[in-house]
Amino acid sequence: MVLEQDHALEVVDMAINMGPQHPSTHGVFRMVLVVDGEKVVDVTPHIGYMHRGGEKLMEAMDFRQGIGFADRTEYLAQFSAELAYVMAVERLMGIEVPERAEYIRVILTEMNRLSSHFMFMGAFGIDSGLFGTSFTYAFREREALQDVFEEVSGDRLMYAYFRVGGLAWEVTDNFTQRVHEVLRGTQQGIRDLDDLMTHNEIFMARCQNIGAFTAKQAIANGMSGPLLRASGVNWDLRRDEPYSVYDRFKFQIPVGNYGDVYDRYLVRLEEMRQSVSIIEQALEQLPPEGPIVPEKMPRRLRTPPGEVYTKVESPRGEWGVYLVSKGGDKPYRMKMRSPSFCNLSALREMTIGQFLADAVMILGSMDIVLGCVDR
Amino acid sequence: MLGIVKSFGMTVRAALRKPVTVQYPLVHRDLPNRDRAFPILIWDEEHDEPFCTGCHACERACPVECMTVVMKDNPKHATGESKRRKIIDEFWIDYGRCMRCNICVEVCNFEAIGMNNTWAGHELSRYDRSRLVMDLDGLLSQSKAKKVEPGLRA
Amino acid sequence: MLLSAPSIDISQPAVSAGLGLFVITLLMTVGVAYATWYERKIVARIQQRLGPNRAGPFGLLQPIADMLKLLTKEDLRPATADPIAWEVAVFGIFVPAFLAFVAVPFTADWLIASLPLSLIYLLSVSGLSFIGFLMAGWGSDSKYALLGGMRAAAQLISYEIPLILAMVGLVMVTHSADVYAIILFQDKVPLIVWQPLGFLIFLTASIAELERQPFDIPTGESEVAGGVFIEFSGIRWSMFQLTSYVNMYVFSLLGAFVFLGGWEWPFGRDIGWGYQLLLTITKMSIFVVFYVWIRATLPRLRVDQLMTYAWKVLIPFALVQIFFNGLVIVYDLPDVFLLVTSGAGAVALVTLVYRSVRTTPRKPLQMFSSAEPARSVV
Repeated sequence: MVLEQDHALEVVDMAINMGPQHPSTHGVFRMVLVVDGEKVVDVTPHIGYMHRGGEKLMEAMDFRQGIGFADRTEYLAQFSAELAYVMAVERLMGIEVPERAEYIRVILTEMNRLSSHFMFMGAFGIDSGLFGTSFTYAFREREALQDVFEEVSGDRLMYAYFRVGGLAWEVTDNFTQRVHEVLRGTQQGIRDLDDLMTHNEIFMARCQNIGAFTAKQAIANGMSGPLLRASGVNWDLRRDEPYSVYDRFKFQIPVGNYGDVYDRYLVRLEEMRQSVSIIEQALEQLPPEGPIVPEKMPRRLRTPPGEVYTKVESPRGEWGVYLVSKGGDKPYRMKMRSPSFCNLSALREMTIGQFLADAVMILGSMDIVLGCVDR
Repeated sequence: MLGIVKSFGMTVRAALRKPVTVQYPLVHRDLPNRDRAFPILIWDEEHDEPFCTGCHACERACPVECMTVVMKDNPKHATGESKRRKIIDEFWIDYGRCMRCNICVEVCNFEAIGMNNTWAGHELSRYDRSRLVMDLDGLLSQSKAKKVEPGLRA
Repeated sequence: MLLSAPSIDISQPAVSAGLGLFVITLLMTVGVAYATWYERKIVARIQQRLGPNRAGPFGLLQPIADMLKLLTKEDLRPATADPIAWEVAVFGIFVPAFLAFVAVPFTADWLIASLPLSLIYLLSVSGLSFIGFLMAGWGSDSKYALLGGMRAAAQLISYEIPLILAMVGLVMVTHSADVYAIILFQDKVPLIVWQPLGFLIFLTASIAELERQPFDIPTGESEVAGGVFIEFSGIRWSMFQLTSYVNMYVFSLLGAFVFLGGWEWPFGRDIGWGYQLLLTITKMSIFVVFYVWIRATLPRLRVDQLMTYAWKVLIPFALVQIFFNGLVIVYDLPDVFLLVTSGAGAVALVTLVYRSVRTTPRKPLQMFSSAEPARSVV
């Protein structure tokens, strides 16, 4: 009997669509994975589901109206986005911010870093398979932080509190005491998450040696933030190109060795502890009274023609604002350099060759915010 | 295995703590004074009219252009009861567009607008989006009934 | 023995067996509906929040509310689903779970059928369910379902083997394959004392058979968004969920009977059916609470790690257990030798930290101070 060779079984790789609606893509992000059994052969990311024309809209906003838009672009690290924007305008106009305002800005930005990293811990636990336990522990602390933000600025998520030259209004009277209270709870929360996840053998087996990226690859892909530091690159904007009053604090910068998912998790956990230390130092050094806007604050915010690029170390990496002004009170072009967009561009290189379940972990470890990927 | 035992210890400790749930429809958390819900207009008790004179400052300053303002001559000025020459005639705010950024409160020269900081400002669900456009009476009702004292004013 | 409740006296064996099966099905359906209730409550407490508490006092009517919702849902059916496989899949999983109750002795007098090989019957019937998973995965005509179905089949078949081997160890010690006789064997000392390694293997393999965390790859919610069940909705989906809880009850009962002594230990047979039932339920609850606790605490293993664990760790240890049992039986060594060797094996299994199976020790994070500028970036 003759075997019919031309009707042999055709083996094709399966294309799986992790669509815009998926429990673990952290926002509207679409990934088409081509898998061979369980190993990923190709990844095609599709972004743009959340594009709102933010940069174009900002061209129609003056420098106070645009702060609310910066919030909505990077909706988990709002104060970093606001800070970059107002710093850009201040540099163009040559305004110097009073010290008390700078210290309060640093305190709030670091608290925002804490709340963003808590969000990461919660979501990462869910990605790795925990039944929501890490999420509730993380959000318990996040709610406490948001309560302080609500008392100071009035809103729980879209603060719009920084203004060009300083702050919008003075903080509440019991601000330092509230922050101390919240920091105690936060340290307990960090310990909880640490106990739950860090040394859990199953968690380590899921995270170690997954998505490893060398320092060279990280720099070549334009990464920044915890991903860069986890790959072994010793770079942190708060120390290397200090802005605001960060050069007055002593803190440590964790740098990983292997660049895998576990290192990124450890770097973020350690960064949370360092943020707590920075906040405590800032609370001690905070001038008890002082102006929050400079005395000679111009009533209308008109910038001289010019361009400027400011960058801050947001919880995701380097958030930059490139502002071009032709005089007048609205920017001519306002570009936001978003860390999530640049980090996400390395997804393909990191994921090829890993298992399907690891693709989810790698995406989770990048900690992207689709608002700032798509703007 | 020790790490797994540590995780177990953590969950047992958490199970023995008090739950942090606030059972919302039955229990309402205290809102802080500066809480920013949606903007409302303030009623002037002394002169029995709104503080707002319809000067369009907030309408121009709004980033999302959610307000429409129409002013008129104040009938009470002619009789000498009030110092305001003009008074607000029609005022619409589309709560569906408002982004609660507080700029309208900051630019108001008469401290006539404030952010509602009560639960009534947050519990504004409607079945139809057109019902979210508030007119003058809707905006004044909370302040007239003395139910709200907005926080930050200037 | 025939089912003889205190007041009914029926002499026809088929009728009384049928009646017994009917009663058990009814009780178990309500029982698993409330299993969802206390699972949600326990998991909620671990997560420091309240569980369901609005539907009825303490949320006790929540399972009924869920049931009503699921019953009234539209029965969606993918147009390209395989008609036979998709329809029968649910029953392929549901029926074997209930069939296992035929051989379960709730107390000394209450069982539907007394089989001389009831342990083998239980294990084989509960192992039939993987066919249902395959049918659901294939018949749904969806890539996610197919992936889930393949993973489910691989996992269920792989973990049958350590489960059965652990039970073989028990059979060797008690010289009987009847669950009833194994319970009677434990009138002085429960078998967990003689077979701690077998107990640990049973525990792990049973969690894998139940497809719960940390072994819930087939129904991995965050990756394949529900896996095998993705195309089933309404009453069909609820049957899947209930089957998962029925299986949990079956394995808890099995563990309570063969390892913890069932209704025999510590008080013996003469205390009456009420106390025996209470003992059974208490020991079953220990297992159930443990399963729920593990579910809320541990993340999910990846498919290859799961397979590695079954084939390279659990099966060798199970064979080691059988070997030592054999030594004790053939050379007529005293029972305490069993305790020592099995205990040592259990300790070895526990301290076989998972990471030592695959990774080497890692360098800790380097910490750089903010005061010194970086000498070199890389």
